[in-house]
Amino acid sequence: MTAFERPDTAVLVRQRLLENADDVDALFVLAALRAQRGQLAEGLDILDRVLRLAPAYPGAWRFKAKLHRMRGEDEAEQSARARAEDVER
Amino acid sequence: MIGPAPGIRLKVCMAGEAAVGKTSLIRRYVLDEYDDRYLATLGTKITKKTLTVQDPKGAGTVTVHAILWDIMGTSTLRDLLKEAYYHGAEGIFTVADKTRQETLGAIDSWVASIRSVAGDIPTVGLVNKQDLEPDPAFASGEIEAFFEKRGWPWMYTSAKTGSGVEEAFQRLVQAILTARPRT
Repeated sequence: MTAFERPDTAVLVRQRLLENADDVDALFVLAALRAQRGQLAEGLDILDRVLRLAPAYPGAWRFKAKLHRMRGEDEAEQSARARAEDVER
Repeated sequence: MIGPAPGIRLKVCMAGEAAVGKTSLIRRYVLDEYDDRYLATLGTKITKKTLTVQDPKGAGTVTVHAILWDIMGTSTLRDLLKEAYYHGAEGIFTVADKTRQETLGAIDSWVASIRSVAGDIPTVGLVNKQDLEPDPAFASGEIEAFFEKRGWPWMYTSAKTGSGVEEAFQRLVQAILTARPRT
């Protein structure tokens, strides 16, 4: 039995974005990878691009609310949370 | 315009390590198709399926619109994205791969993450790739003991042959409806 190794997520993201710079799945994960490295502003910028391309992208508004919370931006967090409720309705 | 038939909307999350077959199980269930090529899921994919099941709290049947969240198996991003993915979930399929023993133990972290957001929701374990030989690292009775200890129903499935797939979805939906407060 050979051990399974999933391709590195960052590598997958790069590959998908090379094929299509507007790949929303890859952009969403790129936003998460940036946030994970503490680059919250950059993560939010990428997430905003996701939401321009796909305003109802699954989980994106809730993730945006979380990133705003991590930055202490209460109003922006509430606004993103309200949008999440709308798109999930 | 005619909208969807009235019924109950349920959000179900598929959880488990990469390449255990989460996407293939949904594909088999919804489209009755299987593709041998592995394409890693990035982000999440939502698929909808309408099914009719026996109402566990009544004599008739009930229409259920299941919203299936196929979530990438990247454990390193799990905590960061848990609210985004698991908010509002009412049921969990937690998937292990019969050919990779380590995927069974990994289930606990996935379920804990989902339940930290969605609460103590019904969970059904799936041990996928039933059509293949098991990982010899599994001890005799290990899978049964794992699920019994946690009190989760479980079953073998094969997205490739379709074995167990329909039954698994019916079972989880029934468990969710049973757990739901009567409206």
